[in-house]
Amino acid sequence: MIKASVLFSMSTVLLAVGLVACGNDEATTGSEESTTFHVAALESGYGSEMWEDVIEAYGAANEDVTVKLTTESNLEEVIRPSMQAGDYPDVVLLAMNREEALTETLVRENGLENITEVLNRNVYGEEQSVEDKLIDGFTETFATNPYADGETYLAPMFYSPTGLFYNVGLLEEKGWDVPETWDEMWELGDKAQEEGIWLFTYATASYFDTLLGSMLYASGGTDFYNSVMMYEEGVWEKTEAKQVLETIQQLADYTHPDTVANANPNDFRRNQQLILNNEALFMPNGTWVEGEMEDAPREDNFEWGMMPVPSFGEGEDRYAFSFFEQIWVPSAAENKDTAKEFITYMYSEEAASIFLDHGAVQPIEGITDELEGARQVYYGVYDDENVLPAMGTFVSTEPVPGVSMSETLYGSIDSIMNDTMTVEQWQNKIQEANDQLKQAVE
Amino acid sequence: MTDTKSRNLFILLCLAPALIMFVLFMVIPTAEIFRMSLYQWGGLSGSQHFIGLDNFRSLWNDMNFIRSVQNSILLIVVVALITIVFALFIASVLVREDTRGSTFFRIVFYIPNILSIVVIAGIFSAIYSPSTGLLNSFLDLLQLEGLQRRWLGNETIVIYSVAAALIWQATGYYMVMYLSSIASIPSSYYEAASLEGISRFKEFTSITLPLIWSTIRTTLTFYIISTVNLSFLLVTAMTGGGPNRSSEVFLSYMYNQAYGNSSYGYGMAIAVVVFIFLFSISAIVSSITKRDVLEY
Repeated sequence: MIKASVLFSMSTVLLAVGLVACGNDEATTGSEESTTFHVAALESGYGSEMWEDVIEAYGAANEDVTVKLTTESNLEEVIRPSMQAGDYPDVVLLAMNREEALTETLVRENGLENITEVLNRNVYGEEQSVEDKLIDGFTETFATNPYADGETYLAPMFYSPTGLFYNVGLLEEKGWDVPETWDEMWELGDKAQEEGIWLFTYATASYFDTLLGSMLYASGGTDFYNSVMMYEEGVWEKTEAKQVLETIQQLADYTHPDTVANANPNDFRRNQQLILNNEALFMPNGTWVEGEMEDAPREDNFEWGMMPVPSFGEGEDRYAFSFFEQIWVPSAAENKDTAKEFITYMYSEEAASIFLDHGAVQPIEGITDELEGARQVYYGVYDDENVLPAMGTFVSTEPVPGVSMSETLYGSIDSIMNDTMTVEQWQNKIQEANDQLKQAVE
Repeated sequence: MTDTKSRNLFILLCLAPALIMFVLFMVIPTAEIFRMSLYQWGGLSGSQHFIGLDNFRSLWNDMNFIRSVQNSILLIVVVALITIVFALFIASVLVREDTRGSTFFRIVFYIPNILSIVVIAGIFSAIYSPSTGLLNSFLDLLQLEGLQRRWLGNETIVIYSVAAALIWQATGYYMVMYLSSIASIPSSYYEAASLEGISRFKEFTSITLPLIWSTIRTTLTFYIISTVNLSFLLVTAMTGGGPNRSSEVFLSYMYNQAYGNSSYGYGMAIAVVVFIFLFSISAIVSSITKRDVLEY
């Protein structure tokens, strides 16, 4: 019996040790008086050092605040389990339209703090308000006001113009002009094909989000784009929408035949390599592609260039979609006031300068004047009077099981390229998803 | 206290830690999955709406889910059938024939099994590459250009391309299991068969197969479970479920819905269906392959 008691005690101790080992071992820092708040930021192409520098600068000016920083390239996987256990970061830098859709999930669950009043607050340590510092338009889309009620829940952070990327050297060498309309694109496509070069490729179908956005703007203007984003009834049956879908179908005839086979998470860089090898002329992408392909081999005449998406008619407006990341405060965060003040600091000259040193550009008035080299060219895409910025995303809806507009709209493009789906089938699928999501708009 | 009572108590106490762990980490989470499948929930907030069996009704009409079921079943059947033939053939040759360098071949065939699935995805992506890949280059060498395909770009072929990678990965593992079973069959049986002058094929079907039947039965369940699990990893790393969801499988679709579409409850409903499916199919396979165990 003594043996049994001893064994029981030992097993209880082992079990307890095991359970304790499964517990949270995160250390907290800071004294009793100081506030400890948690910043979680996606480690993107800009690197994590940028965030460490910003947090250090913020900490130097706020000695009573201790900041705990989490930066990971798979941020969703790191913070989701803690959030499910009720431990929320106070501030999160994580964009929408990512595969794990953590930001969208919180939007759909009303899990974000309303930060409209933050826009009227003065930037930390400065006399100007956040709203006054921000470039117009950046806080007026569904990407910042997801419920279409004029209230802001996500603040715009780093932005990047997107468009069609190409090799400037190749076009110069061949004496080809940069096309401004789709008709000019097809002409150039025919000429290039005679020389064994394909007009178009794309990394993965999800890269059509910005291309299709610009095309919808070009086809029907801002009101039409907004009606698409609001899931307006019958919107995909309109001629403006059909014009966009048929243009994508026509683009299939000019797309490099290896594109769909490489358009997956493992091989998408092979499609980007087609541009560097002069095997294809244009691809939709963002300014980050330059860093992403930094070490890739390339033709001697290679020089990155970016053009806005062609217009449908001569002299009409062309668009370059501005992709931007968002910063937000979970409504379950413990230190919401400190978090809001921290957001105002994000737009201070000190923070903006640190971000800029690491290549991250914020939508702050006058910031493009400080850019140099290729970045000046990319961000100066709107300097042309016929080129306009396009921005936004779909309005938030209640989740509809099995229905995803981005999967339907962009994912189907692989089938269009393979010629296994007709434009009519695609249009019907989109319209069907549109109708289902329309009923789920919050 | 009597000796029997104290012995029972002792056994119970010894089992207690494992039982508690099992209940905590297996029984309760599984029960939670069944519970959550009845709710509409995004997975993060506290607001869970009870919707009864609505998630299962939606599943019934979700063509993307149906396609993922078809793909999963196709993979289970194709991978199990081809792997079992390859693994049995290699194991028989390595044990029964006097093969030079058999140890070397055992190692070579087993190596894919110890590779990470991400590495396998990388290897097969390189093999399937349309212009520079090993497969199309080899067909070109044999002047079989007509057979060249875009292995990961064609919506009809892509699932078979995934199957080939899974077979390559699994063959070595099952080969080792069959090797050990075949090696334990007394050689006198084969000597007697040899004296009778029967063919190698007849020897395999009349001696080897019946005597390792219980091992084959066990591995059939392994095929089902491992194909469902590994196909999720491989599809996620190699094709992302594409092109246009044509290589989506059970678990990749579950993950996609639970996280990417903010439908955690719906994802759990898929998990319940997968759970019941795996249990049922394993039971059916086990039942129809039941034979009297031959002893030797």
